[in-house]
Amino acid sequence: MGLVSGMFMGMVFGISLMAGWRHMMKYRSTKRIAKAADIKILGALSRDDLKKICGDNYPEWISFPVYEQVKWLNKHLSKLWPFVAEAASAVIKESVEPLLEEYRPPGITSLKFSKLSLGTVAPKIEGIRVQNLKKGQITMDIDLRWGGDPSIILGVEAALVASIPIQLKNLQVFTVVRVIFQLAEEIPCISAVVVALLAEPKPRIDYTLKAVGGSLTAVPGISDMIDDTVNSIVTDMLQWPHRIVVPIGGIPVDTSELELKPEGKLKVTVVKANNLKNLEMIGKSDPYVVVHIRPLFKIKTKVIENNLNPIWNETFELIAEDRETQELTVEVFDQDIGQDKRLGIAKFRLIELEPETPKEVNLNLLSSLDTLKIKDNKDRGSCTIKLLYHQFNKEEQLIALEEEKRILEERKRLKEAGVIGSTMDALDGAASLVGSGVGMVGTGIGTGVGLVGSVVSVLESGWWGVD
Amino acid sequence: MGFFSTILGLFGFGVGISAGLVIGYYLFIFFQPSDVKDPEIRPLVEQDSETLQGMLPEIPLWVKNPDYDRVDWINKFLEYMWPYLDKAICMTAENIAKPIIEEQIPKYKIDAVKFEKLTLGSLPPTFQGMKVYVTDEKELIMEPLIKWAGNPDVTIAVKAFGLKATVQVVDLQVFALPRITLKPLVPSFPCFANIFVSLMEKPYVDFGLKLIGADLMSIPGLYRFVQELIKDQVANMYLWPKTLQVPVLDPSKAFKRPVGVLHVKVLRASKLKKKDFLGASDPYVKLKLTEDKLTSKKTTVKHKNLNPEWNEEFDMIVKDPQTQALELHVIDWEQVGKHDKMGMNVVPLKELTADEPKGFTLELLKNMDLNDAQNEKSRGQLEVELTYKPFKEDEMPKTFEESKTLQKAPEDTPDGGGVLVVIVHEAQDVEGKHHTNPYVTILFRGEKRKTKHVKKNRDPRWEEEFTFMLDEPPVNDKLHVEVQSSSSRIGLLHPKETLGYIDINLSDVVNNKRINERYHLIDSKNGRIQIELQWRTK
Repeated sequence: MGLVSGMFMGMVFGISLMAGWRHMMKYRSTKRIAKAADIKILGALSRDDLKKICGDNYPEWISFPVYEQVKWLNKHLSKLWPFVAEAASAVIKESVEPLLEEYRPPGITSLKFSKLSLGTVAPKIEGIRVQNLKKGQITMDIDLRWGGDPSIILGVEAALVASIPIQLKNLQVFTVVRVIFQLAEEIPCISAVVVALLAEPKPRIDYTLKAVGGSLTAVPGISDMIDDTVNSIVTDMLQWPHRIVVPIGGIPVDTSELELKPEGKLKVTVVKANNLKNLEMIGKSDPYVVVHIRPLFKIKTKVIENNLNPIWNETFELIAEDRETQELTVEVFDQDIGQDKRLGIAKFRLIELEPETPKEVNLNLLSSLDTLKIKDNKDRGSCTIKLLYHQFNKEEQLIALEEEKRILEERKRLKEAGVIGSTMDALDGAASLVGSGVGMVGTGIGTGVGLVGSVVSVLESGWWGVD
Repeated sequence: MGFFSTILGLFGFGVGISAGLVIGYYLFIFFQPSDVKDPEIRPLVEQDSETLQGMLPEIPLWVKNPDYDRVDWINKFLEYMWPYLDKAICMTAENIAKPIIEEQIPKYKIDAVKFEKLTLGSLPPTFQGMKVYVTDEKELIMEPLIKWAGNPDVTIAVKAFGLKATVQVVDLQVFALPRITLKPLVPSFPCFANIFVSLMEKPYVDFGLKLIGADLMSIPGLYRFVQELIKDQVANMYLWPKTLQVPVLDPSKAFKRPVGVLHVKVLRASKLKKKDFLGASDPYVKLKLTEDKLTSKKTTVKHKNLNPEWNEEFDMIVKDPQTQALELHVIDWEQVGKHDKMGMNVVPLKELTADEPKGFTLELLKNMDLNDAQNEKSRGQLEVELTYKPFKEDEMPKTFEESKTLQKAPEDTPDGGGVLVVIVHEAQDVEGKHHTNPYVTILFRGEKRKTKHVKKNRDPRWEEEFTFMLDEPPVNDKLHVEVQSSSSRIGLLHPKETLGYIDINLSDVVNNKRINERYHLIDSKNGRIQIELQWRTK
């Protein structure tokens, strides 16, 4: 009797122990999972969520701007800045000097840093936004403001003038930097970083130039030329759609997808110009037109002498990388002994073109694209052009890339041979027509690749370390 | 009868329990699914107030405390990166564990150990607030609150003796508040030399440990015990002030510190040339170390003597014995006008052996140019005795923690004496009425020292160091620090003006050995200056 009842009670006891254990397991598991869910939600609160949780006691100091504030990061930056400035001066000098050389305008024979020190004021990050726009990539937008006091002195040499040291003061930079991280499945999980300045809002780099021990007016137009250089570097290398691609050492990656590639070609016919301003004292101006999408590839028409209503009817082809954001720039110059004067400039946004649809446009020429600098509203005439945009397919894209690389070599060779003063020189339309009909513009992206290569190698060796 | 049946009963009970346990196990536990699901997360707006109440204890710190910043952008970043990080970390972990397992298997007579499942789950760690501390030292301190309530699934299958057992770790939750200090700051990337991590409070750890399906961590009592055990183990290693140090850069960079002392005994000079028209010259010797901004030292003047004897001793602080040299000038003192130079010479410090006094008889020259014809003339000789005393090995700064601990004064500092080091770091909000080109003047026991001028700057940084060798601790002395500005513009009524000053009582330094403080300037609206004082004794 005792045995059976004992066994029975034992079994019941055993089974209920197990049942109890399972119950505890479930209970604990549910608790843990609930906590996990809570933490996940609390890690990404929005304004409404917080209002719901706090009810009436909603804390006043909290805000939810689109670009999240990073006060803590700014505190660190200002503490760290003197050390970063010292460490970065060398790197910056090495990587920016070749850019200055590449983008310097024809009027300047040499442009180098004599002194580079980043000053004591750290840049401020107004906000950071993280998005996932494409699979396998994380996009981070950083709103950067820098009102620094750097000490930058450029050594400028121009034709006919001795070397002038020019000081860059009161540098103000307002821009949004877009950093795209390409993800990978190996430590450190980032295979490449793409850096570019967003075009919208337009990056602003303001500074004042001062000649050390002399006057800026000693070399006429030099401040405009330096402005031109800086502007070209920014818009051609840093501003979207252009970008700097930095592969992170250690992970093999194909960065060709990230790089900028030709999207299509634009056929430009410079028809004629009307009512050009006369800048000559004797006789009339001798105008010619320079067209470009990227400042590195400019093409010019022939010069028509002594004519304020010239007709050219010359056709060129330019390569476009991003129809949505790029523009065609048309400049009319007057050929002169010495420096050629600009009669007028106009821009046309490529997005206004329908692919494969020809369009004739009459552009009003302005004295300057920077509306703040226009001093007079005198009529400078107009220029008529015909445009046709053709979008590349995959094969044509590859051909265009190849062509560009080839023409890059050609341009470099010409520069070394002294035929052209700088890679920013406009090539004759006729000279650069090399029969293929595609990629007459050449150097651009190739140069970009070459320069990125040098920037990347400097950054890689000095910063990221070798794995 | 009763006794027997009780025994039988107990026996039956025992058997019953075992049978019951096994049956119960199979009934309830064995057939449980062992896969880990992603938790179902309903947005906050859909939840009722009771669940919301339940969430309150886990509210992020940035909501509760205004000194914590929100870093949800880092959370988003981690979220997007998490699937890749998951795969990467698991792969690395497996690769590290495999060889170790292969080694250990034969020892324990186990047939095989395999990772049946290895994943960190779908929930990334989250940062629930970031706080930054600003100190006067050269360091960056941040304190993020990290909560990882993940749903990882690590299943290890162990086959031994023909049986298979599975061990599964699930629902790992770790909440910690680490304080991350980046110090010291150096001028080469990435601009800090070490990372120090230390936990400010004991971490919260929770997980499920399933052994053949049964979760050991749900046994009441046992799980609390295990949690406490883990917490204490971690606390022993990393609870503040203990830290985990991760070196990033080689600490032997930048920052030149004094490495030793040069002891100079100026003995005598002989056969000096007459410089004055009437009577003999009045020579004295001026000593200076190259690459040193300190003012030079001078002997007394021996009037009307072309073979003077001084026998005077001086100590000079050496920063780099390989490149520095001692310059000795013999000068003729004049009552009126400029003092005439009578001769000079230079002794490179690398000619000296440590701690060995060496006597030199130096020919006095016009200058150090060997080809100058004027050096042919004999200008007399100067006899000196030099001893270079480097600071001892264990007093030398080896790692940068040294900036906290102190260096000792050199051997021959008189007992009871020491070296007073004044470092002028920076100032903020200094403004002059007419111009602001600030520099700092230090006045101590009649000796005046000046820093460089910084042009047009209201927040100047000097980072300059001044040393005073003293015979006794300056307990009753004060240090007068004044920020001044001078302008070289012509036609100013006030070429020099003062932007503020402070008087620091040095007894504090003697007691504390090192003070690094920000002082509010007197006579200045809002100006502050950061001065570091060190008192080094033997």
